[in-house]
Amino acid sequence: MSTASDAGPAGAGGSVAGAVIELSHVSKTFAPRSASPVRALDDVSFRVAAGEVAGISGPEGAGKSTLLAIAAGHQRPSSGSVRIDGIEPRRFVEREGIAYLPQPLTLPGGWRVSDALTRLAVLSGVRPTYTRHRVEAAMRELGLYDDRRLRVRSLKGDARVRLGLAQAIVADHRVILLDEPLEGMSAGSLDRLRELIVRLRAFDRAILIASRDTAELQRLTDRVTLIDRGRTRRPGAARRATPADVEGVFHITLHHGGEHVLAVFPTAISLGRSTYAVRVTGFAALNRGLRDLLDRGALLASVTPAHAAVDANALALNEVEM
Amino acid sequence: MKGRLTAYAGYQLRDYFVTRALPTLVVSGLVAWGLAAARGVTLSDLDLTGGIDARGRIQQTFELLLAAFAFVAGAVAAHGVVSHHRTRGYDRLVFSRPISAVRYYTQGFVLAGIGAVVLGTVGAEVYAVAVHPVWLPGVAEYVALAWLLIGGLAFLLSTVTAFYLPILALVLAADLALDHFAAALSEAGAGAVTAAVQLLLPPAHVLVTLRGAFARGLPIDPRAIAWPAGFGAACIVVAMVLLRRRPFRS
Repeated sequence: MSTASDAGPAGAGGSVAGAVIELSHVSKTFAPRSASPVRALDDVSFRVAAGEVAGISGPEGAGKSTLLAIAAGHQRPSSGSVRIDGIEPRRFVEREGIAYLPQPLTLPGGWRVSDALTRLAVLSGVRPTYTRHRVEAAMRELGLYDDRRLRVRSLKGDARVRLGLAQAIVADHRVILLDEPLEGMSAGSLDRLRELIVRLRAFDRAILIASRDTAELQRLTDRVTLIDRGRTRRPGAARRATPADVEGVFHITLHHGGEHVLAVFPTAISLGRSTYAVRVTGFAALNRGLRDLLDRGALLASVTPAHAAVDANALALNEVEM
Repeated sequence: MKGRLTAYAGYQLRDYFVTRALPTLVVSGLVAWGLAAARGVTLSDLDLTGGIDARGRIQQTFELLLAAFAFVAGAVAAHGVVSHHRTRGYDRLVFSRPISAVRYYTQGFVLAGIGAVVLGTVGAEVYAVAVHPVWLPGVAEYVALAWLLIGGLAFLLSTVTAFYLPILALVLAADLALDHFAAALSEAGAGAVTAAVQLLLPPAHVLVTLRGAFARGLPIDPRAIAWPAGFGAACIVVAMVLLRRRPFRS
């Protein structure tokens, strides 16, 4: 069995107290007519408690989206059980609704941004008197207000993902499922997403985020579970960098001032989206360099070890298996 | 929190008029033109200043147009409601809301039917004012009956396959062809088999036959419309059951 919960395996039947999202021994096999069956999920047990922000990470095709689609009630598992708040997902969704960002986000291209959000707010049950306010608030929070009259098909860059996030938060739902919300996000949008997750965290709300970006997921969530080829690999609790992690490579993300990076860290490599990989020999060297960058007028968005805790676990596990 | 599906009806009706009304008019106009041309009707035959014969041909052409519109509008009423919605993946986002997929799709289909009836009636009113009086309630009833039969079948097919339009066209063509050759088949000794097959096929030929009676406001035997209406209603019920069991594409 592949269990992915810090709190121990979920029971085979019934709901575990406090668990809002609960998958127990779930397997999913796709059997296309023209090809051999594909096992997308293999005996996965996973749960997210109320008040928790959980992450699930793994390479493309690992089964993350399938797991979220099953949790959202869009797909049925081939075996195992899925419960949202103790009931079957589709029944829960029809009763309360969920905030769901699917991957890819698909909306009719002819809809305008504000129109799309208003429609989805109406379908979410937002009261008529609040609809306009909620739509405008969601657009402002995700930086879409200036794009409100644009058609969905003409949205550029990460605006489409931001629209996906806006539609997910336009109503208050207790269950939030975000599939690859980090996809193609700029540094500024990433900041917005971090603030959004902090704001959405609530005692009765369960948030599950799936992403390939394990390091960023660690910053956003309470714990990250790795999944690969349909099996959860190892539960990972987010932890801070220890001195043992320090000597090595760090990822520095700047809001602006990227032109100064090479002057301060001559061996830095640009990773795109205003993020640079820099090699340092210790905390002191890292802090000296960062101070120098700030003195030159750069605005720092984040600093993280290149190999975060979960990555390290995953690498070690893979090495063992190989 | 429950989704406000009733409040969403305005959007669904607007979607019908914005995206499907014009294609419905254009396609039904082309179909009617093709049928009229096949019957040897030319533009010069449709002379408003002509005599009784010319007016008769105009009225027949209008009835042909009405039948073409009713068939096309019926098929288009289901277009984009289920199959298109699913193949584009819109269902995943919409049905994360606290709404029933069955009600969402059925409401969209019913509103498309109302849109088709409004469109047909307004078109007939324009014709009545400009050319020749027609029985408007009859036109509305005819379009509604076509929506029930053709639309109902299209609605059912679109819940099971993305290729519902070609299948629908084939099934309707089969019924019309069978009706056309029914006498010959009966003479050849295949009358019982023909009748049995016709019972399984949607009675599109009944709709074609009734177009004149509806447009002229002639009395119609309720038994004549019971078959197409019943067939269409049964299709809609089966479609709703299927949607309940399988609300998503996957």
